[in-house]
Amino acid sequence: MADAHPHAMAPTRPGKTRTAPPQRPPQFPMGGRYLAYTAFGWTGLIYLLLGFLVIEAVWALGDGAAAWQEQLLRYEHPVYIAFHVLALASVVFVGVRFFRLFPKAQPPRIGPAKPPPQSLIHGTLYAVWVGATVVFGAILAGGLF
Amino acid sequence: MKHLLLKIEPLIWLLFGQGILLGTILLTGWILVVNLGVPLGLISDDGLAFQRAHELGSSLVGRLVLAALCALPLWKGAHHMRHVSIDSGGAGRDAVVAPLLYGVAALGSLLAIAAVIRL
Repeated sequence: MADAHPHAMAPTRPGKTRTAPPQRPPQFPMGGRYLAYTAFGWTGLIYLLLGFLVIEAVWALGDGAAAWQEQLLRYEHPVYIAFHVLALASVVFVGVRFFRLFPKAQPPRIGPAKPPPQSLIHGTLYAVWVGATVVFGAILAGGLF
Repeated sequence: MKHLLLKIEPLIWLLFGQGILLGTILLTGWILVVNLGVPLGLISDDGLAFQRAHELGSSLVGRLVLAALCALPLWKGAHHMRHVSIDSGGAGRDAVVAPLLYGVAALGSLLAIAAVIRL
């Protein structure tokens, strides 16, 4: 079956209703509620850098003991420490903001089933986040396995 | 290109969503131990000794976790930076910015897969 064009249902010409041209809100990007919105967007840069830094670490692990040890030593440099403090703050900020949004984004009903209360979804997400962090951290630190 | 991006939008959203969810969950423990705890001397580095780290990382589960830890944050990052670009400079440049950012994420994902395969 051929896929429909994504704009197949769009009108062929603009409607008669006049609309105002889009305007940037006066408080954008750093005023009022836009500060958190803008900061949330810019965490994307931190995640991009983190992804490539983890790739670099895994690559070093594959290169052997000397490369791995060198990689761990590099993390002691103040620039890396400062970046990773910022990265930790970013990751926690993203988690808190996203997990607050997630319960509100659930559909009111999926077939015959209703989703659990928002507070339960919210609490479960936090429990999974904290639990996974403790377990994963303990594995990495040598406390498990 | 715009048509292609619209067609693969569900895939991009899947990777972006998992980048936020799984990426955030996994990155918290990784940063706390590997990037801050051990370098600052708060946690012993015995757990990250090469022999142990390699054994853990080269197991099937270890490879899957490391691949997710490397690749998924790239998609979260690419998608959010695309929207930062649209918010700050309008949608006009999206035809260039979106393929560039998703291309970086795709290239990084391939590197991540190669990195865990060669463990």
